[in-house]
Amino acid sequence: MEIIEKIKNNKLIDNPTEIQKICLHKLQSSPLPNPKSELWRLSNKSKFSNVLDYSVNQKGPKFDMPYPKNSQSTIRLTIGEECHIKLIKENYSIQQLSEDELDKYINKQISCFDQNENWSDLLNLSLSCAKNILGLKINGSKIPPIEIFSHASSNSLNAKTLVIFLEKNCNIELLQVNLGKDKSSLSQSTFLSLKENSSVNHGVVSYGEEGSNLLNSINVIQQKNSEYNLGSLHFKFNYARFEIRIKQSVGNAKTNIKGMQITKKDEQISTYTKIDFNGPNGFLDQINKSLADDKSHAIFAGSIIVPKIAQKTDASQLSRNLLLSNLAQIDTKPQLEIIADDVKCKHGATISQLNEEELFYMRTRGITLAEASKLQLSSYFKEIISFIPVSKDRWDLLDKLLNEN
Amino acid sequence: MQSKMKESYPILEVDNLFASTDNLPILKGVSLTVYPGEIHAIMGRNGCGKSTLSKIIAGHPSYNITNGEIKFSGENINSLEPEERAQSGIFLGFQYPIEIPGVSNLEFLRVSTNARRKFLNKEELDTFDFEELVKEKLELVKMDQAFLSRSVNQGFSGGEKKRNEILQMALLEPKIAILDETDSGLDIDALRIVASGIKKISNAQTGIILITHYQRLLDEIEPNYVHVMADGQIIKTGGSDLAVELEKKGYEWTDNFLQQT
Repeated sequence: MEIIEKIKNNKLIDNPTEIQKICLHKLQSSPLPNPKSELWRLSNKSKFSNVLDYSVNQKGPKFDMPYPKNSQSTIRLTIGEECHIKLIKENYSIQQLSEDELDKYINKQISCFDQNENWSDLLNLSLSCAKNILGLKINGSKIPPIEIFSHASSNSLNAKTLVIFLEKNCNIELLQVNLGKDKSSLSQSTFLSLKENSSVNHGVVSYGEEGSNLLNSINVIQQKNSEYNLGSLHFKFNYARFEIRIKQSVGNAKTNIKGMQITKKDEQISTYTKIDFNGPNGFLDQINKSLADDKSHAIFAGSIIVPKIAQKTDASQLSRNLLLSNLAQIDTKPQLEIIADDVKCKHGATISQLNEEELFYMRTRGITLAEASKLQLSSYFKEIISFIPVSKDRWDLLDKLLNEN
Repeated sequence: MQSKMKESYPILEVDNLFASTDNLPILKGVSLTVYPGEIHAIMGRNGCGKSTLSKIIAGHPSYNITNGEIKFSGENINSLEPEERAQSGIFLGFQYPIEIPGVSNLEFLRVSTNARRKFLNKEELDTFDFEELVKEKLELVKMDQAFLSRSVNQGFSGGEKKRNEILQMALLEPKIAILDETDSGLDIDALRIVASGIKKISNAQTGIILITHYQRLLDEIEPNYVHVMADGQIIKTGGSDLAVELEKKGYEWTDNFLQQT
């Protein structure tokens, strides 16, 4: 693991920033996550080491946008490219965070980092140079949809970081697209801060090419009366790890999550979520779907934490999984930790195969087995895809997915 | 009338059919021939093999044919896939129509209809043209257009599901329709609507097999032949009066019949 060796020998980055220094220092004492910890024990070791076998690339090479821009009003940014944004309109403003604001916020985050839980973020912040960190402060109303692209180039590891402060009473639609090129690793960490009465419809779509790897984490802090809606889709990665950490810092906030991961061949994609209710009257509705084919492995581990202060929490976490092959593997573990005594919390998991009777029914109407499977999978996808903001792209994506499956 | 029918070739010939599932024999030598324009009723106790026979004719992958053959329009179809049988004109109306959440009824009906039309070398219909066709067929079973926008059979009442089956039959225009307990779960009015739909769809070129427990469907649609099944075999064949006789006597005599043979 080239990167780990360089971290150990302090030869990873020339002229590191203060943040990079802090993170590298933390990693030097313990450069890898504990493979026995619950968060890492199912990670395929050889694939994980493959993530760290590439050299760090701090440049932002040009790449082809996968989607046409569906509307002139959409704001589209690519992390790593020279993007200086300062939009001050009648109803809203979108401005880049100053270096001080960024440092202050990230430093505060790092101070709470756990070596295993936040290892992906520690690595990301060790590697992300200033030009690969995009910080935005968004204010106002009637804000156009925002699309943010991150990508990794072949034979290298790229680290990109996104920080967004959403001010009070502000609503946005945000689509993040993470793209992996052939034999590449992308480390993407996102930090969102939602102030009072703000809301985000957040879509995360990540897909790669042969041999791409991804470490993708999202850290959200919600103030009271904020609403965070996340629709995510991860597919076509040799190894991908999606970490979602959400903290309702004073309760009285709403979170909806609908995520899906699709694995084929010998791929491994995992989703880890931690939802922390730190006040009363919190709400969560979460569904995570995995679809595993061939010899692939899909993992979901969800954790909902409801301390004593979080009375009247209403949380639901469901893991629904489809095994399409006898050799595919799915591990799922939705988990509740409840201390408060006046709450409504439920969790569950199902693992099944394509419904044989549904397939037979469709076939008796002249629909071929392949078409019938496609119709079934389409209905399985729809619930998630329709939750991802930006309408046209979501349907293009559904077609793409269906054609590939 | 019957001798005129026999001048044509049979649509379906089931010849000495033996079939099993999980090594458990279910059909033990069923023979049945259906000519164009004929209506056959199959009656018998639960578990006698009626539904299994219908599923095997439709090509259910869970059953193995261990002996005998099924011919459709003169061709052996033992090894055909269910979709190939359906495209060529075999229709199975399910006793318990399957719910398919997330798949719109309209899209499902359109894809099915186009699969059949493609086989018949007819032009496939786009959504607009198909909506015109389906509206016309909805009339036959007195279904509301709102059913089209819902997921296939999801949230439908028992009667609505059965009407949706007959709607599919109307759209697919099969050469033979096997209707497995289409009358179960229907009230008198719904039964009349369904029976009327079946009568309007059937014609001199179509064969129909009605699988039922009760005389009441056969009061609406008079069969040319009634077959009684027991223990995986057809043990008696007669005219429509046999159904009346069965209704009076019940199925106990079939046990005696099996013991004697």
